[in-house]
Amino acid sequence: MASLVRAAFSVSKNSLISTSVRSISTTKQLNIKEIREKVEGGNIVVEAVNVPSPRTELLVRAENLGPLKTIDVSEAVKSDKAPCYMCSLGLDVKHTDVLILSQFVRSDGCMLPRRITGLCKRQQKKIGKMVSMAQKAGLMINLTPANCKKDPTKRKDYKKFNTYFDETTIFMKNVPRWTDRFKFRQSAK
Amino acid sequence: MSAAKRVQQWATFARTWHVFDCKWQDPYESAHVIKKYLMGLHKPIYHPMNDCGDVVVCINSKDIALRGNEWRKRAYFHHTGYPGGASWTLAWELHNKDPTMIIKKAVYRSMTGNLQRRHTMQRLFIYPEDKVPEDVMQNVTNQIRQIRLVPTRLDHIPEEEVKNFPKIMDYPEDYVLK
Ligand SMILES: [Zn+2]
Repeated sequence: MASLVRAAFSVSKNSLISTSVRSISTTKQLNIKEIREKVEGGNIVVEAVNVPSPRTELLVRAENLGPLKTIDVSEAVKSDKAPCYMCSLGLDVKHTDVLILSQFVRSDGCMLPRRITGLCKRQQKKIGKMVSMAQKAGLMINLTPANCKKDPTKRKDYKKFNTYFDETTIFMKNVPRWTDRFKFRQSAK
Repeated sequence: MSAAKRVQQWATFARTWHVFDCKWQDPYESAHVIKKYLMGLHKPIYHPMNDCGDVVVCINSKDIALRGNEWRKRAYFHHTGYPGGASWTLAWELHNKDPTMIIKKAVYRSMTGNLQRRHTMQRLFIYPEDKVPEDVMQNVTNQIRQIRLVPTRLDHIPEEEVKNFPKIMDYPEDYVLK
């Protein structure tokens, strides 16, 4: 009942309030923008400046690298869709590869959503977990919120000591404890 | 015995001093490597009754790295002998109290339990920092290779290199840079 009411409300609201005028343009309307703030005589001026993407020139794509030798068969062939750019590159990314992982985060260290990264679901999960591994290990300490102290040795309790992670545990349902040697050997294969 | 043979004899039975840098190393993995040098298992003349073990100097033991959530899940058990005298200390609490204790216990546990183990442990020196007494350091002639690669922090890589590193992900056309 509640969903029916909500649906009826949204339909009526859209029909009444929404403007039928849509801007149509043949050229590109939206560009990558950078928000800039500056103070002009007591007023703060916030403007969005169109900038070219800083990454386009350095971009690496599998189709530009010649024949697809490096493709990771196990992850790509499962679905009949074309593999995403990360799958087709077939890189073995570890959580210590901060130069790669830092491309998928905002300046506060937050993982970008899938509609922006354009990864497949599995890669998004994998990269997201490795980003949090790198953050927990303190390897991307400059990409953290502004109130962070920017020094991993000044964290509290167990967080101040060095931690490394095992990437094979990313898609495990439950990570075995170090005492469960038999179970671990089974799941590792 | 000829002079050359005599030198070979000295070299065979001399104790070598090895240094091992524990920075970003798993103590439980490195214990199995350190153990081999301490007991002399890496030598062809090894025999349990043969006193051929080497000396290992571990430095930077406060910078060891544990896997995953082991700092807060691994507990060290101690019992005073009195009723109710059991205590469990978490790995990070033990490391706060004594930064050499985890690697010491790891090496001790990696060897089979007989009384020789106590004497073998006497040949292990552990220092929390890279400051080693001069009379220890002057004996060191070999370095044991580290097991794991020491990771580099992003803020320690020069900014120019980060900027010019090949990019995999490009922003969509309507993205607002944050
Ligand atoms: Zn993919």
